[in-house]
Amino acid sequence: MIYAFFWLVQDLLTVLTFGAMQIPEIFLLCLVYRLLTQDWEGNVPLIWAAFLGGLLWDLRWVGIPGFFTLSYVGVVMVVLWIWNTLPVSGRTPLVIFFLFWTAQSIPATLSAFVLGRINQASWMFFAAQQGCAVPVALLGAFFYVHHEKGQNA
Amino acid sequence: MVDKRLTLEWIHGIVALIVGLFLLGASPNLGVLKSVVDFVGNVLSIPEYPAVVSREFLRDLYRWARDKNDLTRQLEVLKDENSKLQITNSVLVAEQIKAELDTRMEDARVTLREPHAWWNEVRIDKGFNQGIIMGLPVFQDGFLVGRVSSVSTFSSWVELLTSSALMIPVVIEETRELGVVVGDGNGSVLLTYIPEGRGIEVGMKVSTALISELLPPGIPIGSIADAGTTSGNGYMTYKIAPGASTSTLYTVSILKHSKGILQ
Repeated sequence: MIYAFFWLVQDLLTVLTFGAMQIPEIFLLCLVYRLLTQDWEGNVPLIWAAFLGGLLWDLRWVGIPGFFTLSYVGVVMVVLWIWNTLPVSGRTPLVIFFLFWTAQSIPATLSAFVLGRINQASWMFFAAQQGCAVPVALLGAFFYVHHEKGQNA
Repeated sequence: MVDKRLTLEWIHGIVALIVGLFLLGASPNLGVLKSVVDFVGNVLSIPEYPAVVSREFLRDLYRWARDKNDLTRQLEVLKDENSKLQITNSVLVAEQIKAELDTRMEDARVTLREPHAWWNEVRIDKGFNQGIIMGLPVFQDGFLVGRVSSVSTFSSWVELLTSSALMIPVVIEETRELGVVVGDGNGSVLLTYIPEGRGIEVGMKVSTALISELLPPGIPIGSIADAGTTSGNGYMTYKIAPGASTSTLYTVSILKHSKGILQ
């Protein structure tokens, strides 16, 4: 349910700012946050949540089913792999922030290149989106640190 | 246990990727795709409605602010242009008036000033043939000195300000008080019919009031020269210092009538 909520938030913000800017991948950041904070049992539903969220995004905004579906699932799998590979001592706030920011930038970068929306205006939108993603990624890192502190307390 | 957990996640992930790839590859050939996209759009249009309304509102607000800014800037430009045009127009009008006055002003020489009517009238060398008619104002150095009283073919007589027969309605410029300027026949010019206690002071300027088209308002005559004397019936009489030199009249200027008014 929380995934649907964040997907809708991203969708509504996209509608609100349509033609003016691109919204950061809030839904994907939510997935990544859950991936980093929950137990492994929740990962399988999370993968399918990424699949459904991406598919719905494709049907709503792209018109080509599969594009964001693959991007979201791919990002989730990559983050999962990195997270499992990364030693616990390496899970610093900076790494978490970098993980958040990179995760949300991959679908945006792919769509900018693959969907052929490469012109000056789209690059400005892309830059604005990545700029807006920084505070969101910082927020995600902050919540992660806060969550970890709560777990260790 | 760890391996089994990872294996399960990877299996699901790979299956999801394969399905995604299948969708990506097969979607151009799926006939129902358009219907599905429309359906999703229609369903989502319900929760998206507030965002659409908000976007339109924000867009209208932005356009209003931008238009207002543009209009303000255009207004400033128009104001600036308008003030420049007004100045240009004023200059043009002033030049037209000057040009018209130049064509209407006629210089004349005083050809006769009889000793027995020294302060009453002079004869000038311009008459009907030069466009002189009765009632025209006569100037010296820009000040009113008299009016044309009779006209013949090549000469005219001018009734002077100092004549007791010439009465000219005037206005005191500082107070807008109306009165009548009249001569005493002995070289003095008096301002009469000014009610007492109107704060008339020495040095205030006196010019013609609007009485006829032949004598325009605002023609300077002179200034108040004394504190005035009461005439006994509630009115004051002041002495006027004429701007024109009535004792040294050699040449004068006549403001001829415009052709339009003559017609």
